[in-house]
Amino acid sequence: MNNRFFTTLLILFLTLSLTAQSKYKTKTANITFEASVPSFVEVKGTNENVSAILNTETGEFVSLALVTGFRFKMALMEEHFNENYMESSVFPKAIFKGKLQGFSMSDVSEEISEYTLKGTMTIHGVTQPLKARVKVKKVNNIIELVTEFILKPEQFNIKIPKLVSNNIAEEVFVLAMYSLSN
Amino acid sequence: MKRKIVFLIVMLGLVAGAYIGYKYLYKDHRNIENEVSVLEVEADELQLMFQNNQTNAVLDKTVTVGGTITEIEGNSITIDEKVHCSFDHRIDQLNVGDQVRVKGRCIGYDDLFEIVKLDQSTIYNP
Repeated sequence: MNNRFFTTLLILFLTLSLTAQSKYKTKTANITFEASVPSFVEVKGTNENVSAILNTETGEFVSLALVTGFRFKMALMEEHFNENYMESSVFPKAIFKGKLQGFSMSDVSEEISEYTLKGTMTIHGVTQPLKARVKVKKVNNIIELVTEFILKPEQFNIKIPKLVSNNIAEEVFVLAMYSLSN
Repeated sequence: MKRKIVFLIVMLGLVAGAYIGYKYLYKDHRNIENEVSVLEVEADELQLMFQNNQTNAVLDKTVTVGGTITEIEGNSITIDEKVHCSFDHRIDQLNVGDQVRVKGRCIGYDDLFEIVKLDQSTIYNP
């Protein structure tokens, strides 16, 4: 009886440590977005506290950015971003959930390899499909992911008032950089 | 003479208006380090607040959190595995196991790691 208990416990610990090893994660990934137009001050926000987890066995990837964590050069822009556009007190999170297509840990090396990331992005309470190219490399057991893609505010039901719409680009360029470790 | 005075007043009004407009557009960022915390708690209490959905009281507010450092990653620390604090400066003087009080801006709750996140943190020595 006692023996069986310990065997179960041992198996439990082993599986736990195994699953832990296949998860690469970070709490300090970096996402920058830019919606600048020529001849106006730059509209650019950066969040340096993005969380993400990559399951290296399945290629599943999830990333969570707290909207309030985006910081801008202009304090007023930061205020408008949170209060008027993103409504961050109602929709505090921006979440991506998806999968790196055909990801295999054995293919990842110090050389950059490219994958397609397919999944859904939830911003401002609206979920939309998203597909992006991702550059992946691994240096000293740290997996680095870099991706760029374009989002449109209107897709996520974010309304830009006519008064300022000339100063904010319709297409928002997003750059995300992750250094994941286990 | 009268015209000169009117002209002067109009000019003064324009300059004042421009100054106020400029101050509005380019107002200063908050200085979290100098703000008074709305809340002083231990790490687990802050996490519990988010799990009970009492978020409006602390979201985007300055809070002070106490506990033991359980992890250091770059310029950020985790307190009692429950609150993650990122600093805008290097934190070479901190070590895992240190007892700290940290003041920072609460940016929300991270479901992935089940932690509360603070940014613009500073070590708080009252």
